[in-house]
Amino acid sequence: MVNVSAQIMETLEYIGLLMPSLMMGAWESLKLFTLTLLLSIPLGLPITLGSISKFPPFRWICKLYILIFRGTPLLLQLFFFYFALAIALDIRLTVFAAATVTFVLNYAAYFAEIYRGGIESIEKGQHEAAYSLGLSKNKTMMGIILPQTVKRVLPAVSNEAIILVKDTALASAIGMAELMKVSRSALNRDTDPTALLIAALIYLVFTMVLTVISTRLEKKYSKHESKEDS
Amino acid sequence: MEKVLQMTDIVKHFKNVEALRGVSLSVNRGETVAIIGPSGSGKSTLLRCINRLEKINSGTIIINDEELCHTDSHGKAVYQPEKTVRRLCSETGMVFQHFNLFPHMTCLKNVSYGPIKVKKVPKEEALEDGLKYLELVGLLDKKDVYPAQLSGGQKQRVAIARALAMHPEILLFDEPTSSLDPEITGEVLAVIRKLAKSNITMVIVTHEMGFAKEVADRVIFMDNGLIVEEGSPEDIFIHPQSNRLKDFLSSMLLV
Repeated sequence: MVNVSAQIMETLEYIGLLMPSLMMGAWESLKLFTLTLLLSIPLGLPITLGSISKFPPFRWICKLYILIFRGTPLLLQLFFFYFALAIALDIRLTVFAAATVTFVLNYAAYFAEIYRGGIESIEKGQHEAAYSLGLSKNKTMMGIILPQTVKRVLPAVSNEAIILVKDTALASAIGMAELMKVSRSALNRDTDPTALLIAALIYLVFTMVLTVISTRLEKKYSKHESKEDS
Repeated sequence: MEKVLQMTDIVKHFKNVEALRGVSLSVNRGETVAIIGPSGSGKSTLLRCINRLEKINSGTIIINDEELCHTDSHGKAVYQPEKTVRRLCSETGMVFQHFNLFPHMTCLKNVSYGPIKVKKVPKEEALEDGLKYLELVGLLDKKDVYPAQLSGGQKQRVAIARALAMHPEILLFDEPTSSLDPEITGEVLAVIRKLAKSNITMVIVTHEMGFAKEVADRVIFMDNGLIVEEGSPEDIFIHPQSNRLKDFLSSMLLV
């Protein structure tokens, strides 16, 4: 019995030692996640509008952008913005900046496609009703179509957000000291998987919090479309 | 008679189908015109050409003495600049088969949105006006309710109020009761009947023969992209001339 409790004490002590660096790593991950989401969600919108624009050059540029960022590995893009830019153009980004730029550009492409799907799912009748009231194209988009799109794209957007939590781990490949990198270092140093388990738990907590938030948002945005009185 | 709408020799084709093959229609101020005919006869298409939901291939459209579109020397329809088209189209109001209310807005906002955004009516005034029209269609108590909570008949009445709030020169109805259950078409027809008695100019595409007979000043029978017969309800329903109209009427009665 004495042995067992001694071992538990030892493990707890080890965890105590790990925690500061793991929390620092989690904080870096959280920063990368939040910044990416805050910038890529709005950036997706002009890309979508461009990709459905009636003006061909706009449309081609936006479609090409989406093709490139969705069609190549995120890991490759990370290396490109961190190493290739430095080697070829002598643009030296910090790891955090390189990771943020890559993630924002990549996720904006995905969001753009999600938004396009949402916009195109709005019934033709809504456009016709707006047109027959004399609303301009811009006003129709801003006042009629986009507000209805928000609700429809929310599930897909929250899904992307959950994927992003886990994708931040890729930033460890260019040496960013985020949660993945920190826990792997601990694993290599101590040949003890505890750090990995704790990291897994932290990722899980992130995604659970996100799930709760997205469920609430979905409820909030669908209240007008339910039959019951709100 | 003052003409609110003049359409001359309208031709419209979709890919391989000739939907309209040279149709002329003019509507006097205050008149209620009903357009009847079998499905695919082009009656909805004709209506949708009035506010440019469909672009015509050739012909002339004049709304309130202003030209929306004419035909050039090559026989192709030329529309006025976009701004003029928008303005002219906003002088027409449309009520759709599927209502097309804005689901993210309350009834009052649905009704006042056009006047505020297009006509730049001050918000207070537009809301007050909106209430007046909701009252006219008997739905004042639903002003803060969202469309999802309304029945089909109520939705259509809000849609009528929304169109009226723009003070259109001409009100277009595209089969306004076709997607309603039979027992609630009555409440929508009652509203349209009320409008027909006031001096609002209306064009109604409908399958409700009894209703067309009752409210219309003039009935137009279309078949196969052409106007086959037009005249007073009595001419059309009691003394039909052409065989096609006779066949159509007897088929409607059998159903």
